[in-house]
Amino acid sequence: MNQWLQQVIDRGQAIDDWLSPHRAQSLEALGKAKWPNRRVESWKYTSLAPLEQLELSPGSAVGEAIIEDIEGLNSLDLVFVNGKLQSDISLLVLPQGLHISSLQDVSVKEKNTANALFSKIKPQRHLFGLVNDALAEDGLIIDIDANSKIEQPIRIINISSDGQESHHRVLVRLGSHASATVIEHGQGEQASLSTGFAEYDIGEQAYLEHYRLAMHTHQAIHIGGCHFSLQQKSQLNSTLIAYGSELSRMDVDIIHNGEHAKAKFNAVYLLGEAEHFDLHSTIEHVVPNGTTKENARGIVGDKAKAVFNGRIHIHRNAQKTLAELHNRNLLLSRRGQINTKPELEIYADDVLCAHGATVAETEEETLYYLLSRGISRSQALVMLNFGFIQELVDQMPNQHLAQWLKPQLHSRFVEMEVK
Amino acid sequence: MLKINNLHASVEQKEILKGLNLDIKPGEVHAIMGPNGAGKSTLGYILSGREGYEVSEGQVEFHGEDLLDMAIEERAHKGLFLAFQYPVEIPGVSNMAFMKESVNAIREQRGETPLTATEFLKKAKEACKQVQLSLDFLKRGVNEGFSGGEKKRNEIMQMILLEPSLCILDESDSGLDIDALQVVANGVNSQRDGKRSFIIITHYQRLLDYIKPDYVHILANGKVVKSGDASLATDVEKEGYAFLGQDNAEEKNA
Ligand SMILES: Nc1ncnc2c1ncn2[C@@H]1O[C@H](COP(=O)(O)OP(=O)(O)O)[C@@H](O)[C@H]1O
Ligand SMILES: [Mg+2]
Repeated sequence: MNQWLQQVIDRGQAIDDWLSPHRAQSLEALGKAKWPNRRVESWKYTSLAPLEQLELSPGSAVGEAIIEDIEGLNSLDLVFVNGKLQSDISLLVLPQGLHISSLQDVSVKEKNTANALFSKIKPQRHLFGLVNDALAEDGLIIDIDANSKIEQPIRIINISSDGQESHHRVLVRLGSHASATVIEHGQGEQASLSTGFAEYDIGEQAYLEHYRLAMHTHQAIHIGGCHFSLQQKSQLNSTLIAYGSELSRMDVDIIHNGEHAKAKFNAVYLLGEAEHFDLHSTIEHVVPNGTTKENARGIVGDKAKAVFNGRIHIHRNAQKTLAELHNRNLLLSRRGQINTKPELEIYADDVLCAHGATVAETEEETLYYLLSRGISRSQALVMLNFGFIQELVDQMPNQHLAQWLKPQLHSRFVEMEVK
Repeated sequence: MLKINNLHASVEQKEILKGLNLDIKPGEVHAIMGPNGAGKSTLGYILSGREGYEVSEGQVEFHGEDLLDMAIEERAHKGLFLAFQYPVEIPGVSNMAFMKESVNAIREQRGETPLTATEFLKKAKEACKQVQLSLDFLKRGVNEGFSGGEKKRNEIMQMILLEPSLCILDESDSGLDIDALQVVANGVNSQRDGKRSFIIITHYQRLLDYIKPDYVHILANGKVVKSGDASLATDVEKEGYAFLGQDNAEEKNA
């Protein structure tokens, strides 16, 4: 047994709370799990060495949380520092139909909700999903009543600080005809490990607008996932914005469990220096008449490394599925690396499916043309290379968030260039 | 304005320019003619600073400064403009955004305030009209799907907007019908103000019927082999480049 995994199991077994029955299942699965190496397909290009080498200082120092305000967003903020909820939910003024509770402090009713949700949507195959099952003691349960339209965006912030390890869990249920916006916003740059997994049960004809901002950089290791179950005629519009760190990995599952659901998933990753980011997405069309559009786009500079694996799985019964998956990459440096692999598994015959992946470089001749017109090199590179990223940011339904992101992504890109 | 002295240059270790001299004063129009492969485009690229073109000998002075020492964009800031023989297509970048960026980059270097979107649009519309391109061309990707003639007119439009002091036109007439040729010629003539200088690179004398050059130079085998006034172009048109003699013949056999 791998040492790192063993200590997770030992610690998980020692925890005794109301989630323990769920934990037991995952611990059992972990006991049988293999520690991934390069021969394991889903971890082929992502090494776990940085995780095994990470030295964490025990104790749970609660750092200062500096939360950046996003102009005009007016969000309902729930702040976690090193996996511990800092916000006092009882002080929040919640709109009608919205119920939020901490995993640490749940009523019987919410326990029932949680029991119905926990690990029901997130597939068992995600090793760190199991690690999170075993170790997460804090997190949120967000329950939205049927027919409730929650206008105010719910923002869940996770901050990792030096030497700390954290595991947190988010469970969200949208009742039928409900709608809500959830922003998962993670950040940290110092040596740390965080896992964060969220499960979303989107009820009949409900609408979820979702953002995951995975902004961990430098030595902040982050492994997480978003897992969505779509009921009949529900809709999902999700955007992932990712930076890279020594080790960053995101697993996304979009599962069509009800017919006529529509999912849109856009992902943007911008990696510089020696950053690493790995995105594995799986679209499951279990039932007929579902629609999915996925666009993942990234820019990789310097010695950075991006891994993209996009799988579309159309089950035998899922006739009339419309599924599209595109991955576009721009490689700015010869030392950078992009491993992209779209995977199609189609078992139904009456479907429309498109997919493709490209990796491009900046053309010298094009750059020369712009320079010869007096445009600076950095501005020329932005014009040539940033448009396809900007396009996805512009597609974000929340314009306040888009406006806040744009200059950050822009300057990140410009810095990538200079190096 | 531009002084080229004994310029030797090569591409991929192959010497193309072999001791070229040229002296251009403000307001002058110089035509450069010569057979295919003579090195006319190479001269344009060297002057604009394209990578891969190595200068092994000689000097180029532009407004009294060492041109060869400047970065590509710096040359543009100082007033040099090259209308390309084969302009590149840049899908995804709108013609409008591209031109606005470039006009304002140059204005900034000249210490002028950048144009607002509205101010720029007004100028761009006028320029479009002048080169007879419909306004749709501003919205399209740079040169994306433009016909050969439309690309050339788009180059002339940029020249008009950027107000350079030295314009180098590399075969801006090739592949144009007579109407388009006149549009290009009118564009150039409208910019002649007694201070702005032009190098008109062309294969045929045709364009020079519309743009009257002060000097005509024949470039062959990497050198100016003959210079004269406008009548030289007419001679070339009649007799071809046969009179170039030995040097050029050798090159062909090499
Ligand atoms: N990138 C290049 N690699 C190798 N040879 C080149 C390259 N560019 C131009 N040449 C050669 O240089 C010579 C001059 O080319 P060019 O300047 O385009 O001629 P012109 O414009 O007078 O027709 C030709 O023999 C051409 O083949
Ligand atoms: Mg040429």
